[in-house]
Amino acid sequence: MRFLGNARGTGGDAGPTVVPPRRRLADADLTRRDRAVRAAFLAAALVPTLMLLFLAAEMVREAIPAFVYSGSNFFTGQIFTFGNLYVTKETIHNGVAAPHGASYGALPFIFGTLVSSLIALLIAVPVAVGAVLALTERVPTRLQSSLSIFLELLAGIPSVVYGFWGILVFGPLLAKHVFPSLTGLGSVLPFFRGGVGGGEGLLTASLILAVMIVPIIAATTRELIRTVPILAKEGALALGMTQYETAKVVTIPYVRRGILAAAILGWARALGETMAVLMISGNLLNGFPVNIYSPFSTMAATIVAMLDSALTDATGMAIHALAAIGVVLLVITVATNLIGRLVIRRVSGGAVLPVGRGI
Amino acid sequence: MRSTLRRGRDAVFWGLCLLALALVIVPSLAIIASLLQQSAPALNPHLVTATTATNGLQNAILGSLLLMVGILVVAGPVGIAAGIYLAEFASPGRGGILRLGYETLAGIPSIVIGFVGYIVLDQEFHWGFSLLAAILALSAIVLPYVVKTTEVALLQVPATLRDAAIALGLPRVTILRRALLPPALPGIASGVVVALAIAVGETAPLLYTVGFTDQNPTLSLFQHPIGYLTYVVYLNATLPTQLEHEVAGAAGLIILAMILALIGLGRWAGRRAARYAAQLPT
Amino acid sequence: MHPKFIGNPRFGVIPLALGVCALALSACGTTTPTHPAKSSAKSSSASSPAAAATGNPSTPVTLNEAGSTLIYPYLQVLAPQVHAAYSNITLAPGPGGSGLGISEAVGKLVQMGGSDAYLSPAQATANPSLLNIPIAISAQAVDYNVPGMPANLKITGNILAQMYEGKITEWNDPQLARINPGVTLPAVKVVPVRRVDSSGDTFIFTSLLTKTNTAWANGPAFGTTVTWPSVSNELTANGNPGMIQVCKANPGCIAYIGVSVENTALQQGLQEALLQNQAGKYLVPDLATITSAVNASSGSTPANLRQSLIYSSGANSYPIINFEYLMIQQTQPNPTTAQAIRTFLYWAISPTGGATGGNLSAVNFVALPTSVIPKVEAAINKITG
Repeated sequence: MRFLGNARGTGGDAGPTVVPPRRRLADADLTRRDRAVRAAFLAAALVPTLMLLFLAAEMVREAIPAFVYSGSNFFTGQIFTFGNLYVTKETIHNGVAAPHGASYGALPFIFGTLVSSLIALLIAVPVAVGAVLALTERVPTRLQSSLSIFLELLAGIPSVVYGFWGILVFGPLLAKHVFPSLTGLGSVLPFFRGGVGGGEGLLTASLILAVMIVPIIAATTRELIRTVPILAKEGALALGMTQYETAKVVTIPYVRRGILAAAILGWARALGETMAVLMISGNLLNGFPVNIYSPFSTMAATIVAMLDSALTDATGMAIHALAAIGVVLLVITVATNLIGRLVIRRVSGGAVLPVGRGI
Repeated sequence: MRSTLRRGRDAVFWGLCLLALALVIVPSLAIIASLLQQSAPALNPHLVTATTATNGLQNAILGSLLLMVGILVVAGPVGIAAGIYLAEFASPGRGGILRLGYETLAGIPSIVIGFVGYIVLDQEFHWGFSLLAAILALSAIVLPYVVKTTEVALLQVPATLRDAAIALGLPRVTILRRALLPPALPGIASGVVVALAIAVGETAPLLYTVGFTDQNPTLSLFQHPIGYLTYVVYLNATLPTQLEHEVAGAAGLIILAMILALIGLGRWAGRRAARYAAQLPT
Repeated sequence: MHPKFIGNPRFGVIPLALGVCALALSACGTTTPTHPAKSSAKSSSASSPAAAATGNPSTPVTLNEAGSTLIYPYLQVLAPQVHAAYSNITLAPGPGGSGLGISEAVGKLVQMGGSDAYLSPAQATANPSLLNIPIAISAQAVDYNVPGMPANLKITGNILAQMYEGKITEWNDPQLARINPGVTLPAVKVVPVRRVDSSGDTFIFTSLLTKTNTAWANGPAFGTTVTWPSVSNELTANGNPGMIQVCKANPGCIAYIGVSVENTALQQGLQEALLQNQAGKYLVPDLATITSAVNASSGSTPANLRQSLIYSSGANSYPIINFEYLMIQQTQPNPTTAQAIRTFLYWAISPTGGATGGNLSAVNFVALPTSVIPKVEAAINKITG
């Protein structure tokens, strides 16, 4: 163990030990077969990047006519409709023809995606961090692995199963037993006032999203907490601080930026979540949720819901409109993901880097 | 010695943390219990012998298995090769770009991948409902995991093994085959297994690339829809009768069982990797 | 007096051989006693053998169908029967909504797209080789689940339009009270349920609203999807069964549900409303009222078979009836598939094949009127491979 300020290295060297650069296979000798193999592996390594570029390019290409047609209405408009397909007249904006009355305003979907994922985040981060702290600091070691299985269980449950549980069990349960009491908060917070509905709505979907993103936040936080130097923690305890104060003063500040990064990654996951939200959101069109219990829509769920009939639009604009929503979703999700990874790389030097779902 | 206030705060804080832990444990137990309860009446041989046309699951199970085999054949080798390249051959600059590529790919929503598969593969290329399109779409989703775990597994191979092999003047392919892959294999296997677990739970991309049918799957790559378990959960949850809910629960249970088995397999492989690595000279 | 043509050299052996072959072909592979094309008296295809070859195809063909949840139960009834009749034909139907049916037929993802809505002018222009072929007549009920509401509630298209516009919000609205004299209407909030998927049921429902309410005609109008006015209580459902599911779970609801699942709806506790027709009478959809509506409107079916049967005249005509269409590409990838499709369609519209009284009444459908059959057969004959 090296102590700060001690110039002595291990084993009597004059200066600090030097770590040689990691030798890679690339440094080994080359035969003709090796060159062929390297080319093959390079081709394989290019596949994900090529797929990414292809996906982005295709989405943008398909989306352009809708962006041209809608202009800024795409981001400010409330009405999203393919138009009246049974009338022969067409509406033309900016040189692009769409069915009569077609309007592609995606603001409700953007709003729904951002609001539901933010609410999910606000719930998931404290729960995940608290659960991990409880697991690592308070739960006896022999129980730790068995209890952490539940985290992995949550990560492994597919989206449709969450939706299934939401429609048949969780939603009705919330609507019957929890929401009526929450309307009491309505006197203070306007969003909690009003009709409670049957369980398909913003709060239910946000709660389920929260449950879905807890694993990724918890897994990252857990790895980060492991990197907290044990000496600092023990020092705090030795000074007579309670475990709560140790956590507050030592552990959490150390991992704070990492938790931020984990939160960003969890948010990115919630933004792209499709099936569970599709099943439990109520799929409101052309409007905004009136209160926190009412139906709403998200970008991903709308694409799934409307893509199946997009080819009924002979002008092809329906496909372009859905691609446009997809491009906005793509940009937001990719940006969030990259920012999260950037922050986490800066914090942990690349040691902790969950990919995607946190399994 | 400590004031009651401090002890009180300590107790409250940890009470809240334990509550948080409970909030994590309870939903997972609730979902499993709900699946078991919903599906119990339907768990009989009829599930496996009949297709979804008569409230069985035969075509869906076979379809999901077929898709997993497809992932194994397509995403497995490509992902492993890509991981090897990134760990062993790529220069830091080029490797950084490629790494950014697959990490960004990991963040793309699955419906975007399904959308492009539908429009480009099924429509523009005239593949119709295509098993190949579904496999490609799922591969786009799971490749990053395979690449990442392969890379990490190779990075964890002790430097001495690599140096010794290089010092012996062996060609790269032999070094790879004899010295590097064997210790990394359990880690690589766990990555592939996680990829399969993710693939079996996907729905959105499959909806549009391969449709759904009550018929048992064929091996045709094009112009043939197939059934899969996640669709049954999605569809039946919206249907009114109890029997249909039970079938959905059964499908969900089977998916979850497959995923847990795969994750368990992955963890076992990972533990074997750790044990093997511990035995190696460092 | 009786020309001896068998063996008569004037007629020759060739007609004899052709006759024997025709009989042999029609007999082999079929297990039904009569060949559908030959049993229909009005069939014009029996005289054009080359274009309309039907019968069990030489290799197994799977006909994938997806779309309308209104026709889906009927196809589920037909599937085992057509397979029993023609062992190489397998019908694989699926739900998803009429919009999906049309979409997948346009995209050539399925052989047949089920739809309660005919092709729009734009769709027909963009897809000139896409046929919409009706195989039955169906109808749509309006169901409600209102605690305290008696059965047999009378309702009009105009009132329905206002409910889905958010203008009528309570079940004890004076407009309802006026047409239901002597009935105590409970003070429950109206919860309209609409289809979220692109739906033929939406098409025929909004067609009625368009014909009975000017504001609706000038606003959302009709289609497989429309711009639904924003109503705070409104709920969404996926597919006809989903409509039943949501309506059952939400008291105060009103929903439009296809007759093919109406038995289930009633079983699940929903009640059927009496809908006002053009003559002013209040009716439920049953064999008599649907048949009456069919007879009142079927004389003017165009050759392209795109006809709305909504709100037809006639004292006893139910207002929401429609053709059940299968969208099929004229040119199939190979002759075997084309033959399988033609065979299935001929069988499906034949009273001795698929359109039996038993099959139709199982889903509350009615057979195509005889005046329409020749036009349907002409369309079927266009399918080649």
